[in-house]
Amino acid sequence: MDTLLQTLLNGAASGGVYALVALGYTLIFSVLGVINFAQGALFSLGGYLTYLLLGGKIGVNGALPGWGLPIALPFWLALLLAALGSGVVGLLVERIAFAPLRRRGAEPLLSLITSLGAGVVLVNLLQLLMGAEGYAFPQGAAGLAHLPDSLLLGGARIRTIQVLLLAISALAVASLSLWLERSRSGKAMRAVAEDPTTATLLGINSVAVVRLAFLLSGMLAGLGGGLIGMSVSLAGPYFGISYGLKGLAVLVLGGLGSVPGAIVGGLVMGLAEALISSAASGWRDALAFAILFAVLVLRPSGLLGRRQLEKV
Amino acid sequence: MLRSGGLSPTDPLVARRRGSARLAAAVAGVLALLTLLGRSSDPAAQRLNPEVPLKLGAALALTGNANLYGQDQRMGISLAQGWLQAQPHPRRLVLQLEDGASDEPSAIAAFNLLIRRGVIALIGPTLSQQAFAADPIAQRQGVPVVAPSNTAKGIPQIGAFISRVSAQSSVIAPLSIDEALRRDPTTRRVAVFFAQDDAYSTAETAIFQKVLAARGLKPVSIQRTQLTDNDFQNPITAALQQRPQLIVISAQAVDGGNLIRQLRELGYRGQIVVGNGLNTPNIYPICQRWCNGVLIAQAYSPELNTPVNLAFRRLFAEANQGRSPGQIAAQAWTAYQVVFEAIQRVQQRGGFEGLTLGEARQQLMKELLSGRYDTPLGPIRFRPDGEVVQGRFYVAEVRMDATGRNGRFTLVREQELPEASP
Repeated sequence: MDTLLQTLLNGAASGGVYALVALGYTLIFSVLGVINFAQGALFSLGGYLTYLLLGGKIGVNGALPGWGLPIALPFWLALLLAALGSGVVGLLVERIAFAPLRRRGAEPLLSLITSLGAGVVLVNLLQLLMGAEGYAFPQGAAGLAHLPDSLLLGGARIRTIQVLLLAISALAVASLSLWLERSRSGKAMRAVAEDPTTATLLGINSVAVVRLAFLLSGMLAGLGGGLIGMSVSLAGPYFGISYGLKGLAVLVLGGLGSVPGAIVGGLVMGLAEALISSAASGWRDALAFAILFAVLVLRPSGLLGRRQLEKV
Repeated sequence: MLRSGGLSPTDPLVARRRGSARLAAAVAGVLALLTLLGRSSDPAAQRLNPEVPLKLGAALALTGNANLYGQDQRMGISLAQGWLQAQPHPRRLVLQLEDGASDEPSAIAAFNLLIRRGVIALIGPTLSQQAFAADPIAQRQGVPVVAPSNTAKGIPQIGAFISRVSAQSSVIAPLSIDEALRRDPTTRRVAVFFAQDDAYSTAETAIFQKVLAARGLKPVSIQRTQLTDNDFQNPITAALQQRPQLIVISAQAVDGGNLIRQLRELGYRGQIVVGNGLNTPNIYPICQRWCNGVLIAQAYSPELNTPVNLAFRRLFAEANQGRSPGQIAAQAWTAYQVVFEAIQRVQQRGGFEGLTLGEARQQLMKELLSGRYDTPLGPIRFRPDGEVVQGRFYVAEVRMDATGRNGRFTLVREQELPEASP
């Protein structure tokens, strides 16, 4: 029983972050029908921004060794501001990598490449500015110093930061879902996602909605990066890329464009990984993608996706 | 809920055809250019111009997962270059640095590029796994390779042009296990973690496990991880259920640093022995205060008081906000020093006179293997197969300062291995 609980906790903790990343993809895919490959880079950016806002200094391999912001914010505030910063850069990615192609009526496929390019440039800029070394968030400066390293929950031991990570992810996902369902701007986004032409005819500014989607998507990635940075350190500017790829798999698994699908997909992916014994851990990614493959064969629209109707 | 409708554009058929024709023309142009370039003469057949400096190539992991090591290596090479070039030397040498990234295809591409540019020798690549892929290319083209930090078994045996300045793990690894057992002779339960997707870590864990078996210890848990892992909750909870007294880790700096931190956070209080992948000060900011007490066997100690190591230590501290150098940077310095000194010796004897680059590479390889070098690692020489012969090794313990952000490898024990003495 303890082992099962341990596995569930382990799976839920990583699944929560996958869901955050997948939600970022979902928002953009819904309104534009394209995938933003810079999402992983925004994830990295969120981690680094959180680190700097917590009072961290740039390492010796960075462009400005020893430099840091003259402030050291509490963790919660740093996390929020870093998410906002990533969101603003997400907007910039939209202006550089998506908007020009959209204006020229280019194939949506091309924006995959431009967004990938924007992501690579962003990661390289991070490496130039921050250096290649790993960073861990300053101990004690995070406002979490008084917390114990780990908690015993019903016989299962879990790191305290993992519990926080799960709670914040759940809160972010719930807030986003509520906003989409209840708020005027959330409803506008759903309308654009359903049919952009009709939404525009109804007076919705679809360009503003697209920008809002990029802002929120970047914020979700930044939030994920900050949380993972707190949990396991920043393993260099590339650390967000693997989360970006996993988020992409979750997006497809849950169903393209489906918010509940992204959440369920993230949890399924996290649990699938947690269920694999360490002896077979080399097969973890293979198994995760095998599940994805099996789901897509049985249900091509994903776990909670809706079958796309051909418009004629 | 959101559903994909998309602002999908429509493209006129004519414009698409025109675009395809342009693309085809561009591809044909690039192919023609590449064909022309491919016809350029082989640099190995060209005679050396005594007025032109020799080119030395370095392919290091400046990006990707192993970039932590690559940056340290770049620093070591750069410091050696500054120090050695400031001394009188008959033959000028220019360094050409290429990013070999952290994977095999990138290392191969960097080696190929540097060889085409006509380098006399190569330093690198960063990882053993990359060396197994890239070194055969240099070997086939007769380009000497000095590996700064490829410690897996079988690297020099790739061929006659391959050598290394990094002692192999089988020589060093037992020392840290013995130190852990000396500190706690009651140790019976050992857990092993290793990164199974890394050639070096898998080779090293085999050595660690062989040493454990030789000491009568059978691991109670063997956990396989991956280099890209950063959340180790699953393998750690599985291992801790077996109540280990000692944990032995073969991984790289980032994943290993995270693993140590999470082991401590999840309540493990026993001894931790780590392998060469964590032999870098770059682990300090990752595992922070949780790094304290970690044991590691090393081929380099900053505390060695020889003139060349004192110079290295001083230059490194000046360039790194007073930090103490690690083994990776020391080995990279050594690799540059070895090539530099061998070239100067050949030059002093007039050995490059009238030679083609290919012949000069052969001449350099002979000289390189026959020399003795006083390096930051201590005195070293090479066996005829390119394996380094180094006699002095160290066991260190990580000690973090009060801030938990900076630390050092404190020397615990120094050991002379007579069979490995130069």
